[in-house]
This record gives sequence, structure tokens and C-alpha cells, in this order.
Amino acid sequence: MDCDIVTISEDTKFVHLAWRKGEKELANVRYPMGADPTGKVAKMFGVYDENTGLALRGTFIISPDGTLFNSEVNFYNLGRNIDELMRKFKANLYMAKKSNEVCPSKWKDEGDKTLVNPGAKMVGKVHEALKG
Amino acid sequence: MQEATTPLKLGQKVPDFDLEIYDPVKDDFGKFRLQDQIAGKRWTVLFFYPADFTFV
Repeated sequence: MDCDIVTISEDTKFVHLAWRKGEKELANVRYPMGADPTGKVAKMFGVYDENTGLALRGTFIISPDGTLFNSEVNFYNLGRNIDELMRKFKANLYMAKKSNEVCPSKWKDEGDKTLVNPGAKMVGKVHEALKG
Repeated sequence: MQEATTPLKLGQKVPDFDLEIYDPVKDDFGKFRLQDQIAGKRWTVLFFYPADFTFV
């Protein structure tokens, strides 16, 4: 995948090392594990829980020029769907190449139906545009 | 390092930040800097989770 993933929690880098080496489920993890013990980055993205000192399950996609393109935040008890993250990431890459197209909700991958040049002529005609 | 007072909104430029990291590939500590990503024209995904040693 043409991007860099960083995982972040409020633990220190020392705890990250100990967890990565101790938990066999993480044996294949290759992403850099970011340490945010002061909460400065979690606060920047609005996922710092003041009551617990922990970060909520937030996922953020940042474009190569540093613009925030997507955000998704789940509460503690709901895991994220990686397929949906991949879908959003692929859509962002696609739309960065084709700036006159937009990806509808059912879009999954390159080749799927997009809406081209959405504008005045498409108002009230989205059904036809999706079928056409 | 600029501290945002209100959380970022979509479409906003993310202020530069850095993080100390543990890099499992190098098995070493290091730093992640957003400015390096921008200099290298790389997409970035930040993946926050509550805590190590829990049940992600």
C-alpha cells in the first residue's frame, strides 16, 4: 500500500517495544509504533479522553501535502473495519489522480462506477448518472 | 510544536508534529515527523488505539 502507517497510543516507546516483543499476535507488525505519552498528538486530532488519559480508536488519512482527508473515530469497544479503511484510502488515491470524479458509497476499487463532473446537469439526475 | 486548541477538521492542513517511535523493522527507537512525510510526498495513516497490552 502506497502510504506510511503509524500506530499511536499514549504509551511510551519502551512499552511499545516490550509489547511488540512479548505478544505473539504482533509478530508480523512492521509499522512504526508512535509514543504520545503527553497526549499532544491525540489532542490535536480530538481523540484524547481526559477521563482515562487514553486515546480513542481514531484513524486519520493525511495527504502528501499535509491536508487531513479522512477521519473515523470509534469508541473503546468497537474495532475498526480494515476493508473500509482500505476503501477510503484507495478512493483518496484515485480522486487525487482524477480531480473531476467523485466516488459514491458503493465504490470499492479502480474501475468501479464514479460520478464524472458532478455539477448543475447532474442535480436530480444522480440515479441516471449511476446507471449510465 | 504547535498545540491545536480545537481538534482538526477535514480539509485543514495538519500542523507539523513529531512522535518518538519504536520501529519493529529496525528494532530501534526513532522519530516520526510529519514534515518528512510532506518532504517525501507520502500519504500517512495515523492509527490511534487506547493502550498497549490490551485487546485491539
